[in-house]
Amino acid sequence: MKTLFLGGLAARVAPRVIGKMTEKPDAALLADLTDMQRLMPALVEAEIVVGHIWRPDFPEAPRLKLLQAATAGVDMVDLPSLPRGITLCNVFGHEPAIAEYVMMSTLALTLRLFETVTDFRNGSWAAHQPAGGSPHGEIFGKTLGILGYGRIGREVAKRGVGFGCKVVAANRSPIADKGDASEIYPLAELDRMLPQCDVLLIAAGLAPETRGLIDARRLSLMKPTALLINIGRAAIADEAALYSALSANRLGGAALDVWWQHWSPENPDRRPSRFPFHELPNVLMTPHCSGFTEGTADRRWGDLAANLDRFARGEPLANVVITT
Amino acid sequence: MKALFLGNVAADTANGIKAELPPGLGVEILPDPQQLLQSPEGAANADILVSNHWRAEYPPAPSLRLVQSVATGIDLIDLAALPRGVAICNAFGHETAIAEYIIMTWLALHHSFMEISGEFREHGSWRTSWVESGAPHGEVRGSTLGIVGYGRVGREVAHRAAGFGARILAANRTAREDGTGVERVYPLAELDRMLPQCDTVALCTALGPETTGLIDARRLSLMKPTAFLINIARGRVIDEDAVYAALRDRTIGGAALDVWWQYPTADEPEQRGSRYPFHELPNVIVTPHNSGWTSGMVRRRWDEIAENIRRFMRGESLMNIVTRT
Repeated sequence: MKTLFLGGLAARVAPRVIGKMTEKPDAALLADLTDMQRLMPALVEAEIVVGHIWRPDFPEAPRLKLLQAATAGVDMVDLPSLPRGITLCNVFGHEPAIAEYVMMSTLALTLRLFETVTDFRNGSWAAHQPAGGSPHGEIFGKTLGILGYGRIGREVAKRGVGFGCKVVAANRSPIADKGDASEIYPLAELDRMLPQCDVLLIAAGLAPETRGLIDARRLSLMKPTALLINIGRAAIADEAALYSALSANRLGGAALDVWWQHWSPENPDRRPSRFPFHELPNVLMTPHCSGFTEGTADRRWGDLAANLDRFARGEPLANVVITT
Repeated sequence: MKALFLGNVAADTANGIKAELPPGLGVEILPDPQQLLQSPEGAANADILVSNHWRAEYPPAPSLRLVQSVATGIDLIDLAALPRGVAICNAFGHETAIAEYIIMTWLALHHSFMEISGEFREHGSWRTSWVESGAPHGEVRGSTLGIVGYGRVGREVAHRAAGFGARILAANRTAREDGTGVERVYPLAELDRMLPQCDTVALCTALGPETTGLIDARRLSLMKPTAFLINIARGRVIDEDAVYAALRDRTIGGAALDVWWQYPTADEPEQRGSRYPFHELPNVIVTPHNSGWTSGMVRRRWDEIAENIRRFMRGESLMNIVTRT
């Protein structure tokens, strides 16, 4: 089966994916999406493309049947420009790692981990009880609101209840099985959920209904002590409104793993936002790595390989997003 | 009946629970223990001492019948300096807070959280980003967590850790039934069999003869070279020299230390927690013995202390008796 691993990520992981396949493919690798000289003949032949990017300017792919994203998010696949009859699949395996990140950053903000460690490294016992330090918070008894109650949201809910948190969620489509959440709101009623939350987790995918969803008005519905955790996509939150709320302490703090702008080869240390989030003491920030664990890699490349094997054997595919 | 609240923490406790104490109780508050040396009558007629410590040089307190510790550990209370027949009770309410601290540092160590977020904040480094070529970090799922001292804190840790899909082992001085999600509870004498299996060892034990210096050079060498050590118990449960060497030389992976071998004193208020510069090691999360110091803990602990004083005054059985002199 002619399989093209397309883009930097897919090309890099190709050996690991192929190593896990039982039906060995006729594989080609192309890391540089702008290399039209090589992209054109590669796409003419490919029956399967593994990659998470599809652009309107891509050359024709007459034999293509399967576009297997190497990511969970497919927001970089331009659906209208895909040929007809293509099945688009995505891949997961990152849920446990991201759920761990969510609990870790919620705890770190609530327990003031970073300030405490920095001060103590500098020799200050100020946070020590006999020194008269003020106590920190607990997540016990807090309300955790999850925006986007999918695989990640459910894993977070499961862990959250173990800490004695109340879990509520909001989701685009109706949810039959509430899992560990005590209440599920339709997305249209998000405004009723927000004022209850001590922690708001954005775990939704980027879609027309979620783009800019957490804007200045909705941020103002949240408690001034509330924490915002974003591991979904940056554009779900309004960049200027969030910066303004955090810098004016109209929110308690945030942990941000996803960003409005990324590095480029010309600007490898590019800051992730137009605004200096990195100067705010109440913000924890990571470079889109919350799900990037050795465990995720194992689960994900294993799942991806299994789906390519299924396709080769003509079996039903897993994780179908859409068929064009 | 009279209660003496001695020291900072006890003074805060007195102010927090005053309204809940029976009207017949006389309350004397000495936030600074030095005051007791100057006015020994403070101790002379006290029936109840609420404090985290008692020293041999303090004036006699012949009427004492209850010492209500404001902490869980009673290692600062010199039992030999107390009259006979005193009940020593400790206080809890910190289990929730400390369990949260342990899970937080357990996650932060596996996820290289402080290192990754520090680089990103300080230098805008995308080195560890998902779609770049950086090395992935760790996760706790599928890892093995060993809890040494399976008491109240240990159980709360196990309860939370179970939701993360970790394998949980424990070791305890006295025999325990296996709790929720714990695969096995070893007797402390078999700790050496548990240590090599652990990706993280969390010390939740009290300080006593069996646990002083428990984690020494030999036991550290039984741990995996990647393993993390979390200590919320007491500094002296670990051999100071051995653990500094192990962390500096990376014969273990890292640590989160909340408790120390030395503390600030009136003469040296900025004294470091150790003779060694643990604060300079990038693989060590250091905090100033505040893992249990939350507003929720304070409220729960005050409630317990007030309840025990009421019980004592009514002649009812006490909670949390550790020992009697």
